[in-house]
Amino acid sequence: MNSDMLYALRDVAGVPSHPIIFLTLGVLTFALHIAAVHVMLGGTALVLANAFSNNPMRRRLAAAMTTTAKIAVSVAVVLGVAPLLFVQVTYDPFWYTSNVLSAWWVVGFIVLLIAGYMALYYFYSRNHHLDDPQHAVRSGWSMVAALALFLVVGFIMHVLTNQMLSPEKWMQWYAPGGVIDPRGHTLHDYNLWRFGFFIALAAPVTGAWLFAYRRYLGAGQLADAAYLQWVGNLAGKMLNLGGVVALVFLGGWMATLPANIAAFATSPVVLLSVALLLLTVALPTLLGQRTLNTSLGYAPFALGAVALIAVAALREVLRYTVLQGVHGYDVFTYPVHLDWYSNILFFTTFALIGGSTLAYFLTIAWKVGQTPKGQIYTPSAAIDRIGTVSMWLVGIWIVQFFVVGFIVWAR
Amino acid sequence: MDWVGLYPTWYEPGVGSGWVVGIMATIHVLASHTSVGAAILFAYLAVIAYRRNQPQLLDYIRKYGMFLLVFSYVIGSITGPGIWYTTTIASPRGISALIHSFVWKWATEWVFFVIEVVGVYLVIYLVGRVDQRTHMRIAVIFGMASYTTMLIILGILSFMMVPGKEVWYAEGGYLNGFYGSNTFAQLAMRTAFMFTMTAVVGGIVAARITDPAFKREISRKLAWLGIMSSITGAALFQWYIRTLPETAHLVMDNRLPAYFQPAIITVLLGILAYFVMTLISSRTLVVWGASTATVAILLFGLWPEEVARESIRKPWVAGQYVYSNQVIGRDVPGMSIKSEIPLLEAHGFLKTQVFLPDNLRVVTPDNMLKVGESLALTTCSNCHSLSDTGMRPLHKYFGGTTSVSEVEAYLRGALSTGATMYMPMIPLKPEEAEALAVFIVHMKQPQAAVAHLQHKTALAQAGKTAATPATLTEEVR
Repeated sequence: MNSDMLYALRDVAGVPSHPIIFLTLGVLTFALHIAAVHVMLGGTALVLANAFSNNPMRRRLAAAMTTTAKIAVSVAVVLGVAPLLFVQVTYDPFWYTSNVLSAWWVVGFIVLLIAGYMALYYFYSRNHHLDDPQHAVRSGWSMVAALALFLVVGFIMHVLTNQMLSPEKWMQWYAPGGVIDPRGHTLHDYNLWRFGFFIALAAPVTGAWLFAYRRYLGAGQLADAAYLQWVGNLAGKMLNLGGVVALVFLGGWMATLPANIAAFATSPVVLLSVALLLLTVALPTLLGQRTLNTSLGYAPFALGAVALIAVAALREVLRYTVLQGVHGYDVFTYPVHLDWYSNILFFTTFALIGGSTLAYFLTIAWKVGQTPKGQIYTPSAAIDRIGTVSMWLVGIWIVQFFVVGFIVWAR
Repeated sequence: MDWVGLYPTWYEPGVGSGWVVGIMATIHVLASHTSVGAAILFAYLAVIAYRRNQPQLLDYIRKYGMFLLVFSYVIGSITGPGIWYTTTIASPRGISALIHSFVWKWATEWVFFVIEVVGVYLVIYLVGRVDQRTHMRIAVIFGMASYTTMLIILGILSFMMVPGKEVWYAEGGYLNGFYGSNTFAQLAMRTAFMFTMTAVVGGIVAARITDPAFKREISRKLAWLGIMSSITGAALFQWYIRTLPETAHLVMDNRLPAYFQPAIITVLLGILAYFVMTLISSRTLVVWGASTATVAILLFGLWPEEVARESIRKPWVAGQYVYSNQVIGRDVPGMSIKSEIPLLEAHGFLKTQVFLPDNLRVVTPDNMLKVGESLALTTCSNCHSLSDTGMRPLHKYFGGTTSVSEVEAYLRGALSTGATMYMPMIPLKPEEAEALAVFIVHMKQPQAAVAHLQHKTALAQAGKTAATPATLTEEVR
């Protein structure tokens, strides 16, 4: 597969903004997506590790993590839409080919993800009193199934991403021995170090999440000191051990890079990622009790998110390096047909409507969570104003949709 | 040599790749339309609950919302990207055309998706935890944000059928592609029918209400919503039909299965009767009845509709410039897009296709059947199954003939010149047409194809003719 063939696969319509914009948004949204995936995986694993105990603290954590995992799947799915969109824009020849070559697994990804999500919901619906050790845990198999299915869909996604990077093998996979096999039954290529790295990151990310959880409970006086202490210890272990394991996998991944791009392993983006991951791991130790007593309790997760952005950038730079350096495909030569209206519409919607509405929603959710059960939360006038502005902004968006539409239609 | 950027082909022999997309899309449409309609219904009920101080309405919102968390926000939210995934493997250049024209519109929709997902949890779980006015405001934002997702996707769906304005071909521009008669007609029609789905699915939850007076109130609201939206939707369907391009009307008149129209009318009348029944007596609103109505809409309303929508786009799959077999079939100067037909006419598929093994690039008697199969995969299998099952089996489209030369004559004549209604122009070189004809005949009667190949092999060995496929073809005749 030479570079002329790869360029021929590009979409003939070009792209409506410079590729760097899509690549940047792809990195940022992938980092958000993978953070939600990590919390989903870590939360599910914590449920399995603690739900079958009679220890009230472990049962309480299992209950909290069941709810967390349930919401994290929703968030992971919806956040995953964005990087999926952007990879199709910039790397369409590679993404589409990889998908077609393993087509049944692409369909399987959807079916298995639905099955995993349903299994999680099933466990949730069967265990409304999970935090109470007096109640036996029911249908634990469904949580095992959920975690297993999440790992399988993660592996499918890993393979699809990995296959993108090997155009030289595509024909061999599509027509082994010169005989076309169009069934798409096979997952062709994987790198267990790379897959292991992204899965292992679930432990430190969830550890950082637990520090935030602990601080949230502590600030609202929603838990006793013993529970907070226990959660803190668990979070520290997950962060430290998980961080080390993840870095070992990262080392393995970098060691298995093709010889002609082996130098990438010591490139600035890799070193930055390692430094930020190490800093995230070390941060709770540096902060000590302040992770419990001050808002610095949220710092490990915030810093972890920054580290994930670096990891997402690492992944993107590696893709560029392989495809440009090894296969002669330069994403930055994609023809641009700039469309100002759609560019402005997106960024305005993202900044104004996304910003104000999510600020409003998340503030309300936060405040309600800190309000004792049985009491009604009434927002302050300032928060109310954000809500009113959000409502008007969405309304104005709908009006502009029709006004612009009718003008174009009538023209 | 220029290449035609066709991707590898995924072929699913059981049902065909098109039906895999159709199944995914049908499930998604039910889940997503229901959730958008329900979001607006929730906003309406939340306003009523606040203004008339009827907190029990919030309880219905909470229960319906909990049901939707699984029905729409598990199944619906995953089958949404699922449509991307299935169209990626079934029609990569089709989805690519939409992605590259409307990436920012989809990205904008994503912002509203995020709002929607956070919003649904708040609307459900904050009942009784925040004051009613705040809950109402959250529900209104959620309802409006949810509807914007429909506004956005409808323009893209309409572009699949035909660009909004004809001027898009000459000038390009996202707005010209997005907005047009079909956009607004389809939006209006789907808005109406989404409320029908909301009312039907909402009945599953309402049927469990134990308080007779409250059940009567909710069931009346749902029934009126269902009756009004069904009637309005049926009227708007006529508008939608009038906005379809001429090619779509040709397919509708000639190729849609006979059961399509009766199925749609029967479902509509059945649903109307169901709503009238629940309006008259709320006791008739039971879980199994509402569930059956939901399944009926899925199987006899949405499935035929999705199949029809796929069919009437033929021979195009996106924007009336990407053929269903993925070839770019017309110039779009406004987007600097050039038709690939001239290149294929000059060099054929075998010389220009990226994903073809080298041993199939030159036709010989030995590889002719395999070349024919590869051409069938590339040029036919998006719409025609290459087996006895699935979508429009290819071998059934050639009458009773088992003559390679007769099939080849059709391929070189009507098909290669684009003279077949609702079929793409497929400019096969003579040796490609012969190879494809051999494969088609082989599906119908293998002996006839084998005999043809044996004859050609014998001729080649006897050295009667120069061993070029085209001249060999003439000799066989």
